Amino acid sequence: MGALSLRQGLHLAAILGLLGAAAFPLYWMFVTSLTPSAELFADRARLLPTLSEAAAYREVFRTIPVATWLINSAIVATGTTVLSIALAILPAYALSRFRFRGKGVFGFALFATQMLPEAMLVVPLYGIFAQISLLDSLTGLILANTAFTVPVITWILKGAIDGIPIEVEEAARIDGCSRIDIVLAVVVPLVAPTLAAASVIAFFHGWNEYVFAQTLVSSEALRTASVGLAGFVGELSTPVHSVMAVSVIYTLPAVIFYLFVQRYVVSGMTAGSVKG
Amino acid sequence: MADERLHGSAWTPYLFMAPAAAYLLFFQGYPLIEELYLSFTSTSLLSPRDHTWVGLDNYRDLLATSDFHHVLWITALYTAACVVLSIGLGLLAALLLDESFPGRAIARTLVTIPWAAPPVAVALVYIWMYNAQYGIFSRTLRALGIASGTENWLDDPSLALPAILLTTVWQIFPFASVVILAALQGVSKEQREAAVIDGADRLSVFAAVVWPTIRPTVALLALFITIWSLRRFDLIWLMTQGGPIGATNTLVIELYRQAFVYRDLGRAAAVGMIGLGTALATTLVYFRYTQRAERARGND
Repeated sequence: MGALSLRQGLHLAAILGLLGAAAFPLYWMFVTSLTPSAELFADRARLLPTLSEAAAYREVFRTIPVATWLINSAIVATGTTVLSIALAILPAYALSRFRFRGKGVFGFALFATQMLPEAMLVVPLYGIFAQISLLDSLTGLILANTAFTVPVITWILKGAIDGIPIEVEEAARIDGCSRIDIVLAVVVPLVAPTLAAASVIAFFHGWNEYVFAQTLVSSEALRTASVGLAGFVGELSTPVHSVMAVSVIYTLPAVIFYLFVQRYVVSGMTAGSVKG
Repeated sequence: MADERLHGSAWTPYLFMAPAAAYLLFFQGYPLIEELYLSFTSTSLLSPRDHTWVGLDNYRDLLATSDFHHVLWITALYTAACVVLSIGLGLLAALLLDESFPGRAIARTLVTIPWAAPPVAVALVYIWMYNAQYGIFSRTLRALGIASGTENWLDDPSLALPAILLTTVWQIFPFASVVILAALQGVSKEQREAAVIDGADRLSVFAAVVWPTIRPTVALLALFITIWSLRRFDLIWLMTQGGPIGATNTLVIELYRQAFVYRDLGRAAAVGMIGLGTALATTLVYFRYTQRAERARGND
């Protein structure tokens, strides 16, 4: 009995250590954002937030165009999500339900897109976007990001559609529904949880994306939060606690959104990746 | 007629694929071909429309310089360490979270949070934590008397890569742990109990029952982490820009430097193609390996 509880104690200690390591950098971001400047450079670090410093957040919104950055990021992320889902549903269904020539090639091409770095495609995309007037626009960013999310989402949705018994569709087919009707009216509602997961993944991609937003957009009014925040690297005039406050403001919506839907994200991701 | 309605026409799958295929061809296929072409030319960022065909010169020049050999070495080191450390830590976390304990559901959620944090924000908080004078890491090391605690990890050629690795692994191990945790649900309870009754200790149970079940998942995970590590840009670029003296200069960082610092688009494209070739080669090795593993299982 004693040995058992020792083992349990070690197990719990290991888990607490793990959670501490996972949470600490984000906790530190938060603590720093709520520590007065002078205290940050004192001999001893403050390990707890100074809650009376909360006004610093209002100050950040006043002096830095954080609101504009967040709105731009939200537009890019939402656009990327909607367009990615719209483009991915039909190919996901086709990969799951049909046998056809070229299916293997298409499947491999989808996987191969995972190998392309944004930093590589940004050079030719810049030239292409210049010709079709997509430079310096949020639409351009949405279009560029979607190219990277469609393959992942197609793959995840295919995994979910594989799990739906074909009989469910047959009743609708006998009623004379077209394929598209079946996909929209029967299949989409059944994969709703996976669709939620796929949306989060696309949203995160748009919310986090940096290389395209840095290179394809030049107007200050169209700057996204990732680019705005990256501008603080090596820049010394903005106080550290303000930089961390902006980081918190940028991180928090993503983490909260994730916590709401994490159950679906985890099952969707693992279904997609484990089944390969 | 009814038959056709039931099965759809032969064109249906192609119609379903067409929009996404056209989209990807335009936004990924076409730029990729253009990039391949650029890699055989001498092209400057200052006049990107003027190409001079140089054949394989960019590749030859790159492969002849020791600086580029160093880039390949750093890339290999970074990628291998990402794979081993993320999967090692992810496996450990998954095994811990697989056992039952009070608050397990909350712990499983909390451990995945780093994965949801935006890389740019992660880079900024780690830059602050690595600060030589006031960063929490230096302060802790000083308090413990381990180091003089005045070196900035990101400025030190021997510490910059470990510092980048720590940040990367912190961000991606949650993904590994979630995927491995899902695979652990497929481990047969009966086999595990039988092994325990036979007197096997925990390590032997793991080797005989658990590992064979999760091995295909771990292999797939290794492939994904390899491919992602070969293309990771934001974290490294924002924390070190590939420095100091090339200590964190991976292929993608070198590509970006060639294009936007040295303004040599042809050389940059050749670096990109070498990176892509590496990713493709890894994928082929993976498929070879899984096919052989499947055949071996079939022969049992």
